[in-house]
Amino acid sequence: MSAKSARERILDAAVERIASDGIDAVRIARIAMDARVSTALVHYHFATREALLAEALEHSFETAGDVRDEGGESGDSAARLRAMIDQCLPLPGELERDWVLWVELWLRAVRHPELRPTAAKLYKRMNVWFRQAIEEGGFGDVDAGAIADRTLALIDGFGVRALLGDPAMPLERARAEVWHALAGDLGLHAGAPSEYVR
Amino acid sequence: MSPRPTTGHVRRPAILKAAAEVIAERGVIGTRIADVAERAGTSAPGVLYWFATKDELLTEALAFSDDRFYAELNDELAQLDSARDRLRRIVELWPAEGDDEAVLWMELWVRALRDPAVNAARERLDARWRAAIAEVIRDGQAAGEFGPVDPEGFALTLGALMDGFAIQLALRDPAVTPERVHEHCMALVEERLGPLEGVA
Repeated sequence: MSAKSARERILDAAVERIASDGIDAVRIARIAMDARVSTALVHYHFATREALLAEALEHSFETAGDVRDEGGESGDSAARLRAMIDQCLPLPGELERDWVLWVELWLRAVRHPELRPTAAKLYKRMNVWFRQAIEEGGFGDVDAGAIADRTLALIDGFGVRALLGDPAMPLERARAEVWHALAGDLGLHAGAPSEYVR
Repeated sequence: MSPRPTTGHVRRPAILKAAAEVIAERGVIGTRIADVAERAGTSAPGVLYWFATKDELLTEALAFSDDRFYAELNDELAQLDSARDRLRRIVELWPAEGDDEAVLWMELWVRALRDPAVNAARERLDARWRAAIAEVIRDGQAAGEFGPVDPEGFALTLGALMDGFAIQLALRDPAVTPERVHEHCMALVEERLGPLEGVA
């Protein structure tokens, strides 16, 4: 196991702090302490606070991405897509923590345009990921782009509610609803989440 | 303590309007009660008389904005004969005030992540929205316009779709336009609420 670079430790620490304390409570000095580096080194690696936040977002995304590539080779396209949906929802553990980060960063990006290109880049990456899986899945002549757009919007909308513990949207239901919509788009007969249809 | 009632009635909406503006500009964290007071043309005690915390200002500002939205909506919808047209109109009217509204909802989510009272307020506001949609669905079902879908379930899905796109609109994602969002929402309506005769 290789030792993490200082830069990576700083990013890990930033991710943890944003998730646990919220962006506005984040202090560079605290991140430096958590990462066992000096504040000067943090400033050396990240010229501005926004730069650190943008990279923390990418870092958590990429770390989650390591999880994302698993389960891709089973050959069952539908199963692969279901696994991909799971990896985008706030499942307990790291994904849930990452979601807290992303919600905080979405909000910040509204007021800090410097963060927006990072957010756009990550959305595009997710979109391409889904689009390719749909195109390669043998589902016939479907509008993969539009389906990917809708799937991601549903993931975000259901995901936020699940993250907030909305009684109407437990995580299991979020998974079922997103899959139900996607399966419908792909011409698969997933059946509606049965208790939710009259 | 006896307030001056007339001033009180004038003050509350003015304070909420000011709160919506300031919070949209600066965020909850960056907003001080004094900022809202100044914007509303009153004093900090004048604000605190009605609202004890900034979180209350946020949740009540959204509730107030929703009240106005639903009132206007009901007026508009009353003039439309078909439930399908009413649903289309709701989709067209959203996002109601554009950017400011969307950012307030996002502020609400972030606060709700850490504060149970705000989370509960968010749920109530969301439930209200879902009930409004579900009512249109039921009317449509009674009139034979819509198929046998669960109204609450559909409202949840439509709400999720709209929220997901709202985030990307707020982030100014160039790939997402209000027109595309409306297309996606109406596509969902057509798919899930297809008329009884057309159900596969």
